[in-house]
Amino acid sequence: MTHSHTHAAGRRTGTSSRHGGRSAAPVPPQIPDRRGPGGRRLLGVLLLVGLLASVLPWWLGTPAGSLRSTAATVTSAGRITGLVAGYLLLVQVLMMSRLPVLERWIGGEHMARWHRDIGATLLVTVLAHMSLILVGYADLRNQSILAEVGTLLGDYEDMVSAFVATGIMMLVGFSSIRAIRRALPYELWHLLHLSSYLILLLGFGHQFTHGAQLYKPGPVRTGWIALYLLVIAALLWGRVIAPLAFNLRYKLRVADVVAESPDTISIYLTGERLGRLAMLGGQHFRWRFLTRGCWWQSHPFSVSAAANGRWLRVTVKVVGTHTADLRDLEPGTRVWAEGPSGTFTAAHRLRERALLIAGGSGITPIRAMLEELPPGAALIYRARTPADVLLSRELDWLAQERDTSVWYVIGSRDDPGPRQLMSPDGLRQLVPDVARRDVYLCGPPGLVEQSVRALRRAGVPRRQIHLATFEL
Amino acid sequence: MRRALLAITGLAASTTALVVFKGSPGTSQVAQNLPTAQPVNPSGAGTDPGALADAPGTDPAGGTPTSSESAKPSTSPKPGKTTARPSGTRTTKAPSAPRTTTKAPQSTTRRVTGNGFENEYGYVQVQIVVSGNRIVEAVALSLPSGGESDIHSGDVRNRYDGRGGEVVQKQNGNLNTVSGATETSNSYKQSLRSAIEQAF
Repeated sequence: MTHSHTHAAGRRTGTSSRHGGRSAAPVPPQIPDRRGPGGRRLLGVLLLVGLLASVLPWWLGTPAGSLRSTAATVTSAGRITGLVAGYLLLVQVLMMSRLPVLERWIGGEHMARWHRDIGATLLVTVLAHMSLILVGYADLRNQSILAEVGTLLGDYEDMVSAFVATGIMMLVGFSSIRAIRRALPYELWHLLHLSSYLILLLGFGHQFTHGAQLYKPGPVRTGWIALYLLVIAALLWGRVIAPLAFNLRYKLRVADVVAESPDTISIYLTGERLGRLAMLGGQHFRWRFLTRGCWWQSHPFSVSAAANGRWLRVTVKVVGTHTADLRDLEPGTRVWAEGPSGTFTAAHRLRERALLIAGGSGITPIRAMLEELPPGAALIYRARTPADVLLSRELDWLAQERDTSVWYVIGSRDDPGPRQLMSPDGLRQLVPDVARRDVYLCGPPGLVEQSVRALRRAGVPRRQIHLATFEL
Repeated sequence: MRRALLAITGLAASTTALVVFKGSPGTSQVAQNLPTAQPVNPSGAGTDPGALADAPGTDPAGGTPTSSESAKPSTSPKPGKTTARPSGTRTTKAPSAPRTTTKAPQSTTRRVTGNGFENEYGYVQVQIVVSGNRIVEAVALSLPSGGESDIHSGDVRNRYDGRGGEVVQKQNGNLNTVSGATETSNSYKQSLRSAIEQAF
């Protein structure tokens, strides 16, 4: 692997990270203690209990046998779905509050998955709530559903905003369908997704003016409002106060930008008190580089070196306009960071040994994690061409230092070599005890999907497969 | 996504289960008639001993002119709708005969309060003002309130109540149901009919 001084990536090409890690980490980082799934399970149970509690007011307030007419039954189902939707919306926002406790307990990867699943459920529940109520009321008033829509919009307070909220929710849900999302620029999608806070605001009123369980003062109404306040407090804490405290404390700045390959750069950052920064290799921050043209965008990048008390580093592939602008960052530029987050770390291992599979620039979190994994790990690094291999010197050094076997698998996905290797048999041949290892995967979606399939067939339990997801 | 599908299916199933469970006829009857809590008339306050729960309201003039059976207008309440089934407490209305003391002066106005009816949405009770053998005003003393009920009750009030409402126009209990407020309309009609029966 040659490190030609290329001018394609960084403006200041300087040197690539030839010795990255070696001189800066005089003491090998500690292997972090394991963090079990206990917190996640506890939270799951709590949320389920909350779901039951949210339907309880309906249950208690509806006398048995009272649903004699179709309209009453349909309306009742509409009320239940309404309560569930109201609750799920709060859970959904809580998931996105970036509350440090939640990040620590659940981790961004699981959170993202929960968010997606709850989001889909929420959308369906809201639509069900709307249709059931419309059908029920229309039946009650002996009018058509369209006329009922008119009545609700015209005569009922807060219903216009509730309908708008539903519209936004449908838009957000629609734009999050994978195929559509891929077609949209990230910024547009993100902006659209941010508008979901409006749902919280616009959907608030109608619950209390018309909610059969919520309109009258009492413990239910108070509790429901308290839930809202709690979620908003979590949101404020996780999105405003905690990041503010973090950035005031560590005061991160760009130290240097260097080219790692023709289309990849590393950004080195320094700051204050970095020795006390509790960060695990494999975690990511959301970075906001405070320069003209960049400050308004925040992107998640993994750190590509474990905490060393002196500097941080992110290694970024130049793929879009934003990442292209990052090549021109001046040293001294202030950086606003939110994090660290993610459970793609050595602390979340279940087994003693690990297999790491990286594809292209997906090596960055794995490179950082390598410093913290117990000795005996194995790394498969997939890259299309030798020039796409990043940080190879560091990897070689780490392989020696941490007793890690590294295989570079170069070539297109359809080449016979990679194909054979990325099959269940190939993996078993390379790593005979693969089923008893944690597998950490980071790379392009195609590689990840293919690998997961092969790993599952090779007998690796699903919970031992760790994916780096930081889409949110 | 698989879990989302599971969650949606689970929610749909449990919502259906909840509704079916609550919908199955239980022990409690919802449309039970509560004994009329005699509301105190604005003018005749205090004079009502409240001994007879179902007694017609005290008249503001101080006299006790109760019209005789003969004064019943031709448009007497008919059983009409199936929902207007005779209620248990209404039987206490029987002692209307002893009250036929004197022929009432046709000019005096009386306030008569109907029985209260509880429905799914709340409590309904109607009071009518009778002058001679005419209903001159109808007032809903109680209607379901809160949430969407406020709107429905408002519709009912606007249609039926007052000196020019449907009650006064029709002079009987066969009112048109207010759309969207079927239950409340029915309870209103039931209460109104009981008031009319007491008054004439």
